[in-house]
Amino acid sequence: MKSFFSVPLLLCLVGVPGLVRAQKAMRDIPSPDPKVQAAGFKLPAGARINLFASDPMISKPVQMNWDSRGRLWLVSSGLYPHIEPFQEEQDRVLVLEDLDRDGAADKVSTYAEGLHIPTAVIPGDGGAYVANSEELLFLPDADGDLRADRRDVMLSGFGTEDTHHLIHTLRHGPEGMLYFNQSIYIHSHVETPWGVRRLLGGGVWQFRPETRRLEVYAKGLVNPWGLIFDEWGQSFATDGAGGEGINFVFPGAVFVSSPGASRVISGLNPGSPKHCGLVRLDGKHLPDALRGCLATADFRGSRVNIFRLERNGSTYKSIQQPDLVSSTHRAFRPIDLSVGPDGAVYIADWYNPIIQHGEVDFRDPRRDHVHGRIWRISFENRPVPARPDLAACTGPELFALLSGHEPWARDFARQELRRRGLAKVGKEVIAWADGAKDDRTRLEGIWAAQALNHVPGDAVRVLLTSPDPMARAAGLRVIYQSPGAFSDAEALLGNGVHDPDPLVRLWAVSGLAQLASVRSVGLALEVLDHPMEANIDFALWTLVRDRQAQWLPAFEKGEMNLDRNPERILFAARALGRGLGVDRFLKGLAEGTLPEGLVGEAVQLVAQTGGTEQVAGLLALGNREKLAIPVLSALSEAVRIRKLTPPADVKALNAMLTSPVPGVFAPAAQLCGLWKVAMARQTLESRFRGGLTPAGDWRAAAEALRMLGGAGSLAILREIAASGSTAEHRSIAVGELMRISPAEAAAVAVTLLQQREDGTDPMGIFETFLRQPGGPAALEKALAGKSLPQGIAVTGVQRASTSGNAPQGLIKALQAAGQLKPMTQALTAEQMGALVERVAVKGNAANGESIYRRTELQCAVCHAIGAQGGKIGPDLISIGASAPVDYLIESLLNPTAKIKEGYHTTFVTTKSGASFTGGVDSETGDVLVMRDALGALHRVPKVEIASRQISPISLMPAGLTASLREDEFVDLVRFLSELGKEGPYKTQPSDHLRSFSVLLPHQRVRDEIGHYGPAIFTEPVSDYQWLPFYSQVSGLIPVTELPQQIGRGRDRLGVLRFEVPTGTGRGLRLNDASQVTLFAGSEPVALPASGSVTVPLKDGPAASSPFTLVVNVTARTAPLEIRLVAGSGKAEGGEAKP
Amino acid sequence: MLKILSLLACWSLGTALLPAAEAFRFQENDLVLFLGDTWVEREQRDGHIETALLMSGGIANLRFRNLGWSGDTVECEARGYFNGAKEGFERLTAALSELQPSVVFLGYGGSAAFGGPEGIPAFRQGYERLLDRIGTAASPREIVLISPPPAENPGAPLPDLTAHNRNLALYRDVIRDLAAARKARFLDLFAALGAGEKRDRPLTDNGIHYTPDGYALMASKIVGGLGLAAVEPRPMHGDRLRETINAKNRLYFHQWRPANETYLHLFRKHEQGNNAAELPLFEPLVKAKEMEIEVLRQVAQPKQIAQ
Repeated sequence: MKSFFSVPLLLCLVGVPGLVRAQKAMRDIPSPDPKVQAAGFKLPAGARINLFASDPMISKPVQMNWDSRGRLWLVSSGLYPHIEPFQEEQDRVLVLEDLDRDGAADKVSTYAEGLHIPTAVIPGDGGAYVANSEELLFLPDADGDLRADRRDVMLSGFGTEDTHHLIHTLRHGPEGMLYFNQSIYIHSHVETPWGVRRLLGGGVWQFRPETRRLEVYAKGLVNPWGLIFDEWGQSFATDGAGGEGINFVFPGAVFVSSPGASRVISGLNPGSPKHCGLVRLDGKHLPDALRGCLATADFRGSRVNIFRLERNGSTYKSIQQPDLVSSTHRAFRPIDLSVGPDGAVYIADWYNPIIQHGEVDFRDPRRDHVHGRIWRISFENRPVPARPDLAACTGPELFALLSGHEPWARDFARQELRRRGLAKVGKEVIAWADGAKDDRTRLEGIWAAQALNHVPGDAVRVLLTSPDPMARAAGLRVIYQSPGAFSDAEALLGNGVHDPDPLVRLWAVSGLAQLASVRSVGLALEVLDHPMEANIDFALWTLVRDRQAQWLPAFEKGEMNLDRNPERILFAARALGRGLGVDRFLKGLAEGTLPEGLVGEAVQLVAQTGGTEQVAGLLALGNREKLAIPVLSALSEAVRIRKLTPPADVKALNAMLTSPVPGVFAPAAQLCGLWKVAMARQTLESRFRGGLTPAGDWRAAAEALRMLGGAGSLAILREIAASGSTAEHRSIAVGELMRISPAEAAAVAVTLLQQREDGTDPMGIFETFLRQPGGPAALEKALAGKSLPQGIAVTGVQRASTSGNAPQGLIKALQAAGQLKPMTQALTAEQMGALVERVAVKGNAANGESIYRRTELQCAVCHAIGAQGGKIGPDLISIGASAPVDYLIESLLNPTAKIKEGYHTTFVTTKSGASFTGGVDSETGDVLVMRDALGALHRVPKVEIASRQISPISLMPAGLTASLREDEFVDLVRFLSELGKEGPYKTQPSDHLRSFSVLLPHQRVRDEIGHYGPAIFTEPVSDYQWLPFYSQVSGLIPVTELPQQIGRGRDRLGVLRFEVPTGTGRGLRLNDASQVTLFAGSEPVALPASGSVTVPLKDGPAASSPFTLVVNVTARTAPLEIRLVAGSGKAEGGEAKP
Repeated sequence: MLKILSLLACWSLGTALLPAAEAFRFQENDLVLFLGDTWVEREQRDGHIETALLMSGGIANLRFRNLGWSGDTVECEARGYFNGAKEGFERLTAALSELQPSVVFLGYGGSAAFGGPEGIPAFRQGYERLLDRIGTAASPREIVLISPPPAENPGAPLPDLTAHNRNLALYRDVIRDLAAARKARFLDLFAALGAGEKRDRPLTDNGIHYTPDGYALMASKIVGGLGLAAVEPRPMHGDRLRETINAKNRLYFHQWRPANETYLHLFRKHEQGNNAAELPLFEPLVKAKEMEIEVLRQVAQPKQIAQ
């Protein structure tokens, strides 16, 4: 069979950018007939969908919001993604009315036109607020003729660096503020009467129109086109380019991708598809199963996902439910959702066969600029809420709506009160809030007053005494928003810090962050008296840092002492990265008086911030058995970052090299090397020579010897490189030798690489050379005239081509040594067209999935499908539904051509000439942590960084698919193109276990399984090697793909290990127990000889020990399915898969 | 009436106009650049100042370019996109080199004044550096330093801007001193617009951002402050001229400060940089608008009717 890449291909890249444009294979453009589109919907029983509005009545809806008269407002942008020179600014605000209330719009009014890519609209305050690229407009309509009177610029200076990141998602908060979001590439600089506000990157803005006060509410998220408030005012966001589903947004939260963030909060559903829009479903028209859930659109997968939230400490659990709707129509692009006055769910359908504009050309002819729909989902036999005429309602009538359960009526009763104004209805509203009979109603009263820009202090105080933690949290939220309205805000928040409920404590810390007093910082730190949680830790850490200028001088002058509480002082010190009370902690360590849980942190503090004497004092503690490892490790990192000079006496350190405590040698050796402790040489040499030394100690000894320098070091590195006991031993010597004598090291490296018949580079020889100055050139030279096994040459080219400086000479040398063909290919338009056609006609997705799962392609090492897989590249959960086939092909052949936002790599060079390429994992003031293409983390001290730039090179190596035959390549593309589309390759919410570890073949098994039987796999053998393994998209486990252990006779065994959450009344359900042996921990579990079975799970800690499952693949090839079900054996949640 | 207004303007700015050397004059084919923070950026949506300068200039083919940017500083923080002020400063330098303006109006200090007295040394230093750079990149014939306009106090629930006005005066002083030291022209808009005195009809809609009426008054103060005679367009023609000027400015905005910069010129240009080829296509459209503006300018001149 011909290799795919023997097809004649152009070897230059020049044709690539024009490729998409030239692509004529537009066969997958679906019919825009609404009837065709409607036929593609799949709905749950009892749900109906109808067209509320469609082109040509409307076009290209971006965001929609209701007004208090039940009219639906939307912004419509035909200009997106980019205005053409001859085009007028012609985008519009439209208002739809369903006059006969039959569920379809009968009238459209053009409220405003001449706009430039408007991305949000919300009616209110006698007009409408519109996000219009760089500005937020208010378009008043004094005479109510549904035609804007003029344009007032409310705010300006929002960035426009990417038109699908422009400010968007306008929402009324329940307290009368306006919220809106911006996304990753946007840099906004907004002058307001309260000062200039700047937000770089993504985030959520908070704006009170009547005061013109604008603040940043939260930062980060990649492209957060969804924001809602629940019935207690807690806020949640979704991300159209992230993958963590629902995000709980509290004040000051910082999420992924915020520039310069040293720590971030994670979303609630890692491994989710990208989501656009967000609505909370409620009201009596909706089935009970949906009420209280959040709905958000998977616009790439053409479906609407549902999540149910549960409280979980200071955050939430978000549990996916069956979809509300999905579609097989590829142009159905749900991007905004809303519950209407009739209780039905409205979905804005952007209608486009392609999405986004980063990867697909602005001017791609397949881009749709004219269609657009609003779909309406209603339910049979469900009541329809009454439609009150809000303008005619009396105050008490409006209050009745506020205390009811219809979300639309509640929101717009509040809007109506706001319209009437404080002077007219203020007294009545406050009296109603004060007299409320329950906390929810009281909160509605408080919000109604806040919407009038008034804070009803008495009602808030009552709320703070509620037995319901949600009510107490909502009360503190009011103080957070208006601390100036409470003379005793500090005391109220200080109490909240000690609340039994963690969510209340979170809001108390958020509130204290708004105060100006030094004392409030101390009060916030008292939250450490209670169990800490991630969100509280984050909020406290932020507060301590943001308010540093206020409280730190007071602390240093002794005007505040944080109650001399070591935990609080350590927390503050860690947050600031600064020494506070170092002497006291050193004393506490020496005397053993510090609580055990604080020892590690105290050691770090002294090492990272202590002066010369304090550091010497810490080193002296290294001879204590319990402190040795933390002290030496902390010091060796501190020496790298802070360039600490060695203490006068290093004998004690030298003595630690011979400590009998396991694990002490390596950090002691590192420190000896960094400090050039000459007397250590002999011990280091003998340890490095020792054949039985653990590899980690070899590495530390070699590095230390290299740092000591001199002829002795060169000699021993040469010696071990030439004749070390194993290849690993030799390669460690090579790694250090290359820093001294690159040419010599490279010559040995080539001989080591020549032995890598399996094509892998477990010792990281390529990395060693790529990272150091002169390394690539030396390796290139040493390869001249040599040959390498093809596999290892491919690996080398991949590593080299994804390193930031992509050394072309080395790549050529590797290609020559491995006799490889050139790696980067560009197809002509005709070739691409033909290939797209073959994918559609001949591609076999099932074969493609098994190709995707092949170890040598490494797809799953870097990419997840759903939550299952690596985190280095984008999650592919709905890549097929969002990306055109030509884009997939191009990305496989030339990964650098298009790079998804958030996945650009950073290229750092250090002052010593070393270089690192990868994603930024995190950073602090001192250290940049980078994740390389293999997933390894590198801590680069910032003092050593010489340059740092965004690299235009993808971390995905070119040529990963070079080993595939053409039919295999076609199958792989077909599989990718099916991901997320309606059908078997759409990840469904289900109860399948999807993530496992598998055991690699091990010598001991072969020798001893006859004696122990399969129980041998449950033993804690330290050199068993377990690798991640994932189920197929369907949830099935292809047992034939498992690594095989040699069993008795001809038996070949696959071994899976997995953990399951503890839980009452749950069980593990196997589809077929044939040839399966199962252990819970080390206990065998009784299974029938065949057929399905449900194993009940034990409660309590025992249930968390791992399960080990052994399957005899000689006798069984049928796939295995493991599900977590309710104890009865009935499947929970999502449907079972075929 | 018009004359009285412009006389008043002369009077109120007269002392501030330094040095008293030659009067300000536009010259044929001048390219006039507006550079500054929020009030300068918003002028391109309003157009009163450009219209007034064009009419009072009395010269054919005056061209105006507005590079104002909301929230900008003399360090060019707001123009920085992904790499902050350093990149912003270089971006501005490139624009200056390309445009080669012969007249530059500078309107900084409004956003900066929120930094308070502590921000003064950095502001002075940054302003010096900016002036140096304008000189080396474009060596314009005239540089006019304009103080930020004053804030008003609109009353609760908007914030009290008394302290901000004190800060604005401090920044104004810095600009005035810089102008004096460099013998550049200086316009004290802060004083000319009443230094935040109470008015019956506010000139701003939120205390700091000027309404169309506010910009109209600002325009007359600038024209007067330069010592130019105000020329009011003929009735019916003024608005048409101003709208055409605004339309020209919008076209130019799409050219020099386009959306999607990440893809057109920055780190994703390898994906969509091909589309940057469209940007120069705005040039003929801007030129066409400028021809229209010139026709309107001539038509809008008040007629001298022989008595």
